[in-house]
Amino acid sequence: MSAIFPSEEWLKGLEVKLNSDEKYSEIAKNWEGDMFIIMEPKGNLKEQITVYLDLWHGKCRKVEYNPAAAAYPNPTFTLTANYEDIKDVVTGKLSPMTAMMTMKLKVKGTMGYMMRNVPTVLDFVRCMQEVTTEIL
Amino acid sequence: MQPILKINLTTGTTEEFVIPKEWEHDFLGGASLAARILYPYLTKELDPLSPESPLLFMTGPLTGTSGPTTGRFVICGKSPATNLWAESNIGGFWGPELRKVGYDGLWITGKAQSQSYLWIEEGRLEVRSAANVWGKDIYEAQEIVREEVGVKVARVAVIGEAGERGVLFSSIACDHGRMAGRTGLGAVMGSKNLKAVAVYGKKKIEVANLERYSALRSEANITLKQDNEAKIIHETGTAGVANYAGYLGSMPSKYYHQGEFEGVDNISGSKMAESILVGFSACQGCVIACGRVVNLGGGESRKRKGPEYETIVGFGPSLLISDLAEVVRLGEMCDMYGMDSISTANTIGLAFYLYEMGKVTKQDTGGLELTWGNFMVVRQLIDMIAHREGIGELLSRGSRQFGAAFGAEDEAVQVNGLEVAFHDPRGVSGMALSYATSPRGACHNQSDYFFVDFGHTNEKLGIEYFDRHAQAEKSANVVKHQDWRTFFNSAVMCIFANVDPQMQVDLVNAACGYEWTLDDMMKSGERAWNLKRAINNRLGLTAANDKLPKAFLEPYKEGGAAGFVPDLPEMLKAYYEVRGWDHDSGKPSKEKLVELGLENVVQDLWG
Repeated sequence: MSAIFPSEEWLKGLEVKLNSDEKYSEIAKNWEGDMFIIMEPKGNLKEQITVYLDLWHGKCRKVEYNPAAAAYPNPTFTLTANYEDIKDVVTGKLSPMTAMMTMKLKVKGTMGYMMRNVPTVLDFVRCMQEVTTEIL
Repeated sequence: MQPILKINLTTGTTEEFVIPKEWEHDFLGGASLAARILYPYLTKELDPLSPESPLLFMTGPLTGTSGPTTGRFVICGKSPATNLWAESNIGGFWGPELRKVGYDGLWITGKAQSQSYLWIEEGRLEVRSAANVWGKDIYEAQEIVREEVGVKVARVAVIGEAGERGVLFSSIACDHGRMAGRTGLGAVMGSKNLKAVAVYGKKKIEVANLERYSALRSEANITLKQDNEAKIIHETGTAGVANYAGYLGSMPSKYYHQGEFEGVDNISGSKMAESILVGFSACQGCVIACGRVVNLGGGESRKRKGPEYETIVGFGPSLLISDLAEVVRLGEMCDMYGMDSISTANTIGLAFYLYEMGKVTKQDTGGLELTWGNFMVVRQLIDMIAHREGIGELLSRGSRQFGAAFGAEDEAVQVNGLEVAFHDPRGVSGMALSYATSPRGACHNQSDYFFVDFGHTNEKLGIEYFDRHAQAEKSANVVKHQDWRTFFNSAVMCIFANVDPQMQVDLVNAACGYEWTLDDMMKSGERAWNLKRAINNRLGLTAANDKLPKAFLEPYKEGGAAGFVPDLPEMLKAYYEVRGWDHDSGKPSKEKLVELGLENVVQDLWG
């Protein structure tokens, strides 16, 4: 499935990918947690976009494009970055670890859980990259 | 800067050493300035454990100013473990307290006639009898000294039994188990009959432009509190990286001979945070608080220091121990005896490895079976090392000498006599250069390049990301990182201060009244790196010393680093080019020395 990033279609495509990718399913089998990814306006993105994903034991239980924050008041993680940096991550130009360690990606949540599950995070990003064929 | 107090323990005399202004500007402070001060005195003939051997406690221009992670100080001299340049950086509160007395450093030579400690207040120095503290562990000794001087808030730098007995990897400790662990300076202190140095001061620590400094300090600390890495380190300690390092294969197990460890999740910082962690501890003014306070519960219900990454891996995966509580106990034993946990665990690991090979036998160990995972034996060995008893006597000399005693020096995972820390260059190749070229032997703090290989770049300094298994193409990057970290060691600033480099320059300028640029900052690091190299060249170090232990040149069969070994010769070739070092001798070239303003060194190195 091909859709422009970021868009609702792209998010649906990511949901399908996460639920069908065997490698992700295995690596993320212990992951329990939902998250917001907040893309702040920069470059071609003029308004903030938020995507919500509920990830559980190697599957994606739910996604929502631009949800009301109140709909999910206590996400396990909230990841925030400007659009240009997130674009660089999904196109493979910027390592997600570099984005995190240089504060291009701000992380709110339990850091210990994140560090324990870095392979899951990296494979999640791989799935994001593999469903991204067009960029805003 | 404030003067440095020189103390001769043999004669009991003191004098104030005023640092020349140009030295301050060129070397800033900390280990860099210490190298400039000690340069004439660190000769090849000098026995590190002789009375003439200097022991220099140095602060930096930011020490005690509550800037970002600037509560630290550094201790320098000649290492009894390596016979090379020695420096060991330590946190806590002692450094700021010394500055409040009115000194930026303490330069100790000589040997006290009997077991002693120093008590230093403003305008007062006493050499006191250490009769009541000799033989005490580092925590009890601090308490007794504080009680004897009658100042509950005095800060005490102290050695344990290991330093008293000359264990070559003895540490100097202060406060809540903060340790200057590397290069064996605790043994130098012990050789001077000096158990402790207690300080208490009331002076205000001055900066050149307080208004500017205060604003910068506030901004830097707020930024640091929000930093992802700082949050990880606060929440999970330095061992928070254990899972990721295990995944990459950069966390060695079975004494650097096994590329993955199934029990990593049982000993990681995340596990500690979820189980035994009951609090945090911080150095003066630090907003990160990487220190762990743990409680094992049950019959051992008390608060105690929790281990950091190196101690966890050294006594955990490296010895195939996956019991976090036991790692806590083993780390605490090292601290109490005043022994570097990296060198202790590494040397014990070598003993286990040689035992498995059949080179060390039960006859050598006095009947002990050095079998992997046997933590009861590790406890016994730590006791024996601290007391230099049985096989502990050989172990107390470090892995190089221990290996040599069994015809297996090449099996020791060390460089130039300093045991390697637990960041394997087969998983993060930049560490190959960090270990091979560090001025104090296999050190992970002179350039913690593993963080760059994890992805921690710095655009302003041009420190880029290269694949973690890239080879010579990353040599120039390693050079930049070393120069930057050398600046940290002069400031004296903790390497966990993920502060923008321009902010660091601004802080230095506000504190010192300078007009440094980023280039000046990097140049000061390069200057000191080369000066330390020159010191080591004069002590006999050549290009042949820039090497890696055999283990790192054999690939792992399993794990995230399987099949890879660093190509050190090619990496070094590129490194020497960037450094401007002579390929044959390993010395900085005349041109490089002159470029850095080290004309005084040219004659000594090149005649």
